[in-house]
Amino acid sequence: MNLEGVHIRGIGAVSSAGWSAGDLLRTVREGNPLPAVNCARPGDERTWPCPVRLVPPPPPPDKTARHPRMRRSSAITRYSVAAALGALADAGHDPAAPPRGLGILFVMMNGCVNYTGRFFNEVLQNPAQASPLIFPETVFNAPASHIASFLGIDGVVSTLVGSPNTIVEALDTAAFWIRSGIVEECLIIAAEECDWLSAEALTYYHPKLIATEGAGALLLSAKSTGPQVCAVTGPLCYTTWDERAALLPDLAAQTRAKFMGDAILIDDRCGIDRIDRAEQAAWSGAHWQAVRSPKLILGESMGASSALQLVLGALEARDTHQPVVVSMPGANTAAYACVITP
Amino acid sequence: MSWQFNRHANESHLSQPFSVSFSPSQRIAITGAGIVSPLGLGWEANECSLAADRSAFRPVDFFDTTGLIAKTAGVVDLPAESPFHRISPHKQGHVDRGTRMLLLAIREALAQAGRQGMEGIDALVIGTSAGAMPLGESYFENARHDSGRIPSQLSRAEHYQPQRQMNSIADEFGWRGPVIIVSNACASGANAIGWAADMIRSGRCKRVLAGGFDALARLVFAGFDSLRALAPSGIPRPFDAQRDGLALGEGAAVMLLEAEDARQSDALGDVAGYSTATDLHHLTQPDPEGKAAIRTMTSACAQAGVSPAQIGYINSHGTGTPFNDVAEASAIAAWAGDVVATIPVSSTKSAMGHLLGGAGAVEAVICLMALRGQWLPASLNVRTIDAAVRFDLVQKFRTARFEHALTNSFGFGGTNATLVLQRRTA
Repeated sequence: MNLEGVHIRGIGAVSSAGWSAGDLLRTVREGNPLPAVNCARPGDERTWPCPVRLVPPPPPPDKTARHPRMRRSSAITRYSVAAALGALADAGHDPAAPPRGLGILFVMMNGCVNYTGRFFNEVLQNPAQASPLIFPETVFNAPASHIASFLGIDGVVSTLVGSPNTIVEALDTAAFWIRSGIVEECLIIAAEECDWLSAEALTYYHPKLIATEGAGALLLSAKSTGPQVCAVTGPLCYTTWDERAALLPDLAAQTRAKFMGDAILIDDRCGIDRIDRAEQAAWSGAHWQAVRSPKLILGESMGASSALQLVLGALEARDTHQPVVVSMPGANTAAYACVITP
Repeated sequence: MSWQFNRHANESHLSQPFSVSFSPSQRIAITGAGIVSPLGLGWEANECSLAADRSAFRPVDFFDTTGLIAKTAGVVDLPAESPFHRISPHKQGHVDRGTRMLLLAIREALAQAGRQGMEGIDALVIGTSAGAMPLGESYFENARHDSGRIPSQLSRAEHYQPQRQMNSIADEFGWRGPVIIVSNACASGANAIGWAADMIRSGRCKRVLAGGFDALARLVFAGFDSLRALAPSGIPRPFDAQRDGLALGEGAAVMLLEAEDARQSDALGDVAGYSTATDLHHLTQPDPEGKAAIRTMTSACAQAGVSPAQIGYINSHGTGTPFNDVAEASAIAAWAGDVVATIPVSSTKSAMGHLLGGAGAVEAVICLMALRGQWLPASLNVRTIDAAVRFDLVQKFRTARFEHALTNSFGFGGTNATLVLQRRTA
């Protein structure tokens, strides 16, 4: 992958730590896992624990609520718009007058789960009365469409669905778009919202996995200085957990060969040994200035998790002037890692 | 503390530069294509059906349509035996209907390109709007009915994810490579082909399998029904003055795209132009003037280096809904200008329904078939042509001589995509 000449000009995030990238950095650095609450379930009470860490209510005033597209928008859209506005403001753009030639690449895994569950429930109860207002909000690219409308972007807007680290492919494509003049700058946003179904789904993988939600946004530009994704390792592709474990030492070795000296590691560990073991072993043996494990603090944000790692990596690189290695081993398709330089 | 960035370290295969230099106007060779639609399995079956002006709508019988206005759709007749040979029967049990269609299309594309498997393919770029939706529906229904832990839910949660479905295809071919899943609603398939073409143009890849798929799903069917977008009669009449809605369908199509320097002599055609833009008018309704469509048609033709007069066929998005068809007809008229009356246009959704995430890919393959065979597929079921239509609406299959075909795809969220395909002559 070639991300040369493209910089991270703006950074934004919404997470269970709060509605800004600063909240994310501060909370992860403090290193204390956020409190979890039991995820509410419709109908009968659940017979097993299902904790979640939700995004707190937005701080007033909610700058987005007056836009017509935001009236019915889902949580995933609200998180995404807030993260995008944060990235634009961080880059010095006036969010009320976004730059011309802006593209959007959106990444998600589960998508608009709240409206999807609500709509399908209506279909099962009485399809003749299922809401025509809700159905369009269930579509994977609804959040990207709302952001485009909110910002007035009528150019290239695309949504990718897949593992959280699909965002690396989005970075690669955004860099191509910028270099080839298709866009001048590109917002890359990955987001997820939590609902009782996805929270329960995580507990089937492991009872101690805690679902969370949020959005990370990076504004890529060739016209600025700032952190840079200087090297990407991957995709190292797999379809089984054993293949993944066998590839992770290569992921670490190839990445460590791309720089010498001290760095900060932002890993993907979630606190469950069975899941973390291969990644932890792959990166062990190196000296790190610091190791940050956002999932241990925030929870599993699924489609947003790699974006929040990259946001954190860019913030750390900018703040500490150290290179940052971001480990994104993924869960079911491919492993990536990248080096972010200040 | 010091650090040093080593630019010359080894990188994995996608990071290695190819010899193809970036050129925005570079054509991309199509060396294989596969198609699965309600009209049939494979190129030949679809060509025969289109030549016979056949349509393929029938009652949907694999989910409950009680309470819905529409009851019919374009349904694919999948073979009884599984198309998967290498993965275990247990794993095959997790494969969704749409993924089976996609595998059949991939097999045909590879065979047409003279390939036994996916070795040498740099990436798989697939568009879908619903993925493995029926598995998600099943997960929901089980969770709703039982508040206890249900062990089989893990499998549903896992295989509902479209990337896990793509893993079954990777395993079937013993292939390991990046899979990119584009989900821009009904433009997903066209965007996937365009995305793949860009990957080759940029030199990031040399050979990419790209296309789209979607299978009928209860949630989506009920969703379009709730919008009153489905034709109550079950018969879509794109560009008819009295059209009353679309019919849904299902299917998959795939193209093997290769860098221009690769196997040129074997190519079936070229992807000569691609453009995408966003219509901000409404989440589900198009801008009445089709402004974004005008931009994508203009830009894709510019990339292909052709004028509207050189477009010998347009496979329109043409859903058959009142809003879509008038917007597209207006856009084609504005884009084509004086030559609009000479441009043949049809909507093959009139024969097979709207294939959603698969539509753009299936219609691109139909354009390729039409270019190869020098024929034009028809817009069926038209009684009175809408007043907005100023182009040559093809109402019966006919032969034609042309070098370029254009296909439009528009989706919820305002995604517009246009592909321009070029004929290859021996």
